[in-house]
Amino acid sequence: MFALKVAVFWGCITQTSQYACELSVRRIMKELNVELVDLEGTSCCGTPIKSVSAYASIYLAARNLAIAEATGLTDLLTVCNGCHLSFTEAMRFLKADEALRARVSSLMSEEGLTYEGSVNVWHVMDFLHDVIKKEAITKAVKRSLKGLRLAVHYGCHIIRPSPLGRPDDPEEPRKLDDLVEWIGAVSVNYSEKLDCCGAMLMLSRPDGALTMAGSKLKALRECDVDGLVVICPSCHRMFDERQRSAGAAVGVDVRVPTLYYAQLLGISMGIDEEELGLHLNRSPVDELLSKVKDALSP
Amino acid sequence: MTLIDLMTSKGPDLGLRLKALKKAGEHKPYDCYQCARCSSGCPSMKLLELKPHEVVGLVRMGFVEEVIESGMAWACASCLKCKERCPQDVAPADLMLALRNLAFEMGKEVPEAYTRILSEVMEFGFVQRPQEVLTKRLVRVNRERLGLPKMPEPSERFKSTFLRALEEL
Repeated sequence: MFALKVAVFWGCITQTSQYACELSVRRIMKELNVELVDLEGTSCCGTPIKSVSAYASIYLAARNLAIAEATGLTDLLTVCNGCHLSFTEAMRFLKADEALRARVSSLMSEEGLTYEGSVNVWHVMDFLHDVIKKEAITKAVKRSLKGLRLAVHYGCHIIRPSPLGRPDDPEEPRKLDDLVEWIGAVSVNYSEKLDCCGAMLMLSRPDGALTMAGSKLKALRECDVDGLVVICPSCHRMFDERQRSAGAAVGVDVRVPTLYYAQLLGISMGIDEEELGLHLNRSPVDELLSKVKDALSP
Repeated sequence: MTLIDLMTSKGPDLGLRLKALKKAGEHKPYDCYQCARCSSGCPSMKLLELKPHEVVGLVRMGFVEEVIESGMAWACASCLKCKERCPQDVAPADLMLALRNLAFEMGKEVPEAYTRILSEVMEFGFVQRPQEVLTKRLVRVNRERLGLPKMPEPSERFKSTFLRALEEL
């Protein structure tokens, strides 16, 4: 019954607190006839460990890739910008450095894992844009989002560093804008579009991190948008879960409905709000939802 | 965090300089010609007493321990704009990570959150345990109540192999 079958790596934040991300991705993929194969024995992707030890972070990435490869599937879907970057980087390092690969392989063999470097790593964004493609996505739309003005936030790690090969352009990304427009909404251009959410700084300088998120949300208030669309659980945590403190950090009561693209797509597919985890968003998503109902197509 | 006073520092440490440069990988700080393009786009500028191009310059000269002790490396948001835009293919963001790695290696002060994350990954495989969250109607829910499957658990050997990965330099 499924047209496509891919392995899925959920990562730390999605599985331990950003449940709306997991709920919405599982639900829309089902709707799009994509079978997701959960992976046993996975761990952190390595991103936060980069600050502790470059080698240990590569080891973490490689062992997760090895687990994905063991399923025999050729494609691995990630839902987080950090996981996608960590995996892509590790694959590049391991390909370029034979000695490193030998060390990592011998370490992994203790867990009974072998790394080939053969799996294709996708993020929900480029998977929807380049694999599922426009026709299938527009066909799945049951409710029009016409009239909605939305801002998109790509997040740093999905577009940089470009020499590594990232899913979209580092200075003028388009894919998320396309995805929003394919389902009928308007993607509003704004000067702060590529500004960082600050998530990585939460661990060492939370004050600075919240100011970064707050500044972006404050700028969005001036742009007359109906909401902010994100594709990464770290970014979502900054803009949605921590919206109140982010606003406080810049002295403004920002009220910007913030949601995952998977949730937005799910809304347009006519899927029940709770199935998409919309009851878990902290930002005022009801304001956006009420506008969708108004725009329901005949 | 203190401002670096080079007048009171003990002088360039060339051994540590080499170590930091090696850790920075393929992006060589000595190719930097101080154009400050990295600093011009840096979102952490407000938090920095030393700008990214100044950190690169200091490491290049061998004032590595001073830079580590300034805590500047922990003010980087890892947005990678500097790495993307550098005309000389230097990556200040990678150098910040190299300095953080060195801070751990040398037993310097590191943010508490990182030691917490490290022990969680070692014990549990992920940076934190699954949390209960509140719905809009203020109902407490967890993975099970949301109908989500059990989280994966790394193998029993994981803890020891991860520990070995941390010990290997």
